[in-house]
Order: sequence, then structure tokens, then C-alpha cells
Amino acid sequence: MQEQDSREVRLSAAFVKLADTLIADYDMVDLLDTLVTECTALLDVNAGGLMIADARGELQLVASTSEQADFVEVNQLNAGAGPCLDCFATGVAVSVADINDTGDNWPAFRVAAASQGFKAMHATPMRLRGQIIGTMNLFSVRAEQISDRDITVAQALADVATIGILQERNIRDSSILTEQLERALSSRILIEQAKGVMAAASSMDMDEAFSTLRNFSRNNNISLRAVAESLVKRTLPVSTIMQDTRARAQKQHTPSGPAK
Amino acid sequence: MSLDDTPGSVEDGSNPQDDSNPQDGSNPQDGSNPQDGSLADPFVELLPVDGAAISVVGSNGNEHATISSSDEVAARLAELQFELGEGPHWECLRSGVPVLVDNVATSSPERWPIFAATVDPLGALFSIPLIMGAATIGGVDLYRRQPGRLSPSEQVKAVSLAVAAAGPAARWAIKSAADDGYFPTPGAPEMRREIHQATGMLLVQLDLTATEALARLRGIAFATNRPLHDVAHDVVEGRLKFTDTP
Repeated sequence: MQEQDSREVRLSAAFVKLADTLIADYDMVDLLDTLVTECTALLDVNAGGLMIADARGELQLVASTSEQADFVEVNQLNAGAGPCLDCFATGVAVSVADINDTGDNWPAFRVAAASQGFKAMHATPMRLRGQIIGTMNLFSVRAEQISDRDITVAQALADVATIGILQERNIRDSSILTEQLERALSSRILIEQAKGVMAAASSMDMDEAFSTLRNFSRNNNISLRAVAESLVKRTLPVSTIMQDTRARAQKQHTPSGPAK
Repeated sequence: MSLDDTPGSVEDGSNPQDDSNPQDGSNPQDGSNPQDGSLADPFVELLPVDGAAISVVGSNGNEHATISSSDEVAARLAELQFELGEGPHWECLRSGVPVLVDNVATSSPERWPIFAATVDPLGALFSIPLIMGAATIGGVDLYRRQPGRLSPSEQVKAVSLAVAAAGPAARWAIKSAADDGYFPTPGAPEMRREIHQATGMLLVQLDLTATEALARLRGIAFATNRPLHDVAHDVVEGRLKFTDTP
């Protein structure tokens, strides 16, 4: 019971640590290192490694807790076969309770794991909404099935890290998106304010005010936002827009222009 | 209809990233619309809270749009804090970290005196930032009818959900802001456009700047204990005029 409690505490602490790395201006290497180190410490395993797909979709080893794990992981990548690669290909966790029993599935992996003293392993997919970005691989020196509970914890920790990685990949795009958002919101406010300015200075309702503004913007080839902004800042008098609108209406009336 | 004619601006949906973005659970281009609560609902399903509202903000604090909520109480809580300019929502936006109020009744009222005096009794409030890159682009406001805390793993869940919601929220807000004919719903009042229309009217009637006019509207709303958008509606309808007030 005591052990159970302290494990709960450590598990919570691990989640908080990962969450902190998500919020703060974090370093990706730190996040991945934290993930695999915490996972190895929390679960009943001896070593761990983390593989992430690069821009070409090929797995690369990005973190490991020991040279032994490093060796087995690199060996799998070189051989192009192993439980970690299967996990990455399918997006489903792969559990191997006894590596010696795997026969001809992954011969190079079996030999490499045995040479480093590993008897069991568990590969956890790192995925979000159908996209698989890598796998987290845990190794044990005892030949035994990893518990369901540990599988769940490993997946939960991997999920948090996955979101962090995808978030980081989106940072470049997100600065563009943030600018667009900023501009979209401020444009909308200026336009609504300008409608109010037009309505207060004339007898128009908001719809008429808007179409008048839009026509003025199109006819004079000035962006709607710019028209709105100068109206709100009072550098463009409402009367200028009204005169322009009247003049154009008269011009359209005299010849047989397309009436709206 | 685009807001302005700047190339590559708000309505430019041609960015190929949009289609491949794995976090984009509600890509505006596929027609899904978070007005139905689809962005906010996961927070209620996965966390011990009664309601959630998602708002995006501009950097100067005057731009604010509530775009998805699980219920109207949640939407109103977000909006009320925007109107009053204080509350956990603001603390969260300013600091960029979650603000967790386990028990609103016992939380120190000096922290947000007006909000504490205005808000109907409720149990707990949690505000989680929507972060994109280095910027806080909005917040998720969660409420509970009964006091109670979020456990560390629930906090992580809340933060993770917010991380995943930030992209879709920003994209949707850009799309709706660019829509000249946006139709607000009680759960997704968006920017409350009448507030800005009323601001424009007031700045003409009282010869003020836009910032001063909005402050004046807020003052009237607070003094008469009415929602800001109600006061704005009266101004737009011509029931409230300021030409003859001192």
C-alpha cells in the first residue's frame, strides 16, 4: 500500500513535470529525455529509448537511458526490423514478454537484445489523431509480460509528450497564424466601429452603413480595414464617403449603367 | 467575404499546412463548426467540470471572441470577465499559466473584487491558457457548480486538451471574424459585434476616441448592473443616446 501511494505521488509528479515542459518555453530534447527517463524510473523496467520519425518519415533514435538500450535501438534501425518498427508501422503497442521466444520475427533484434541482457520489451506508439510520430521503447532484464497498468501509464506519458512534439512542430506555422488571428480580430472591430460611426453620423442602419463602406472601399481601391480605421480615427470624415457615394449614384443614373 | 484585400490575409485558406495539421480537429474548411460546442465539449467529458468555454483574444486585451462553449453559463462567465476586465480568465491570459480556483467562495475577493461581487455563486473556476508558440491566444474557462480541485493528472489533461484546441480555435476565430454575416449563438456570442458598433456611435456622439468610448460603455453597464452587450444593443437601436448627456 505504501509502495502504491508513493508510486501515485511519483506518477503525478511526472505528469506535472511533463506539463511544465509543455507550458514553458521548453527544449524538445529536454522533454524527450524527461519522458523516457521518468517512464523508465516509474515502471518496472530497466532501460528505455525513444524513436521519432524525421521529415522524411524515417525513424531516428532521439533519446535513450543507457548505452545498452542505445545499442539495441540502433541495431533495430539498421536491420530495418524489430518490435519498435512494427509498433511504428501499425500504431499499436507491441509487447514482447520473452525476446528469446520471438523465433525468426526479428533475428537481428533478438541477438542484439540478448547481447545487452534484455529479456522483455514493450513498444508504445506516440500518436495523435491517427498520425504516428514515433515510439517509446522500454526494456527489461526479466522475461515477463509488462502489466496492463504499466502499459496504460506508458501510453499516457507518451501521449503528453506527443502533443508537445506536435506543438513544437507547429510553432513556426503558429506565429503566422497568431498574426492572422490578431489582424482578423482587430479588422473586425474596426469595421464594426466604423459602421457605428457611419450610423451615428447619418440616418443609416448598420447594414446600409456596411454596404456604403464596402462600396467606398471597392470604388476607391482602399482596403475595407483602412477605410474603417481612418473613419474611427476621424482622419476620414463621414461626409467624404457620403459625397463620393452620392456622386457615383448620380453618375450611374444618367447613362444606362447597370443598376444594383 | 474577406475583411480586407491584403494578399494571404485572413481568408486565404490555401495554406497546405491546414490540411495536414494533425491537431486540427475541426478544420474550418471541412465545414465543422465549433458553435455547436465541439471544441469545448471534450473538456467537460474528460474533466470533472460542469461547463467549458473557449475564447480567443488579441494582444491588447480589447479583442475578445468566445467561439465555443458547452453551455451558456460557461460562455457568460468568460464574457463577464472580459467585460469587467478582471477574474481568473484575465490572470490566466496575462500570466500564460493555468489559474485554478478550487473554491470561489473562499478565494480572496481582493484578487478580483468586482468579479466576485458580480458573479452568481458557483463552486470552482479553472482558466487554462490557449498557447501557440510563444503567444497566449486565448483561454479555456472551466467551471464547477461544487467546489473541488483538479488533480495533477487532470491538470495535465486540461493543459493537453488546451494545447490541442489552440490551433482549431485560432483558425475558426479567423474565419468567423472574417465573416461579415456571422450569426452569433448564445453559446458562441463571438465578438459581440454590437458592442463595437455602439463604440463607434458613441465616439461620434461624445467626440471620444474608440478606447474612451468603450470604457464609457463599460462604465454604464457596470453602473446599471447590466450586461455590456445589452447596453450596446440599446445604443445601436437608438434607445440610448448621448448627445444630450453632460
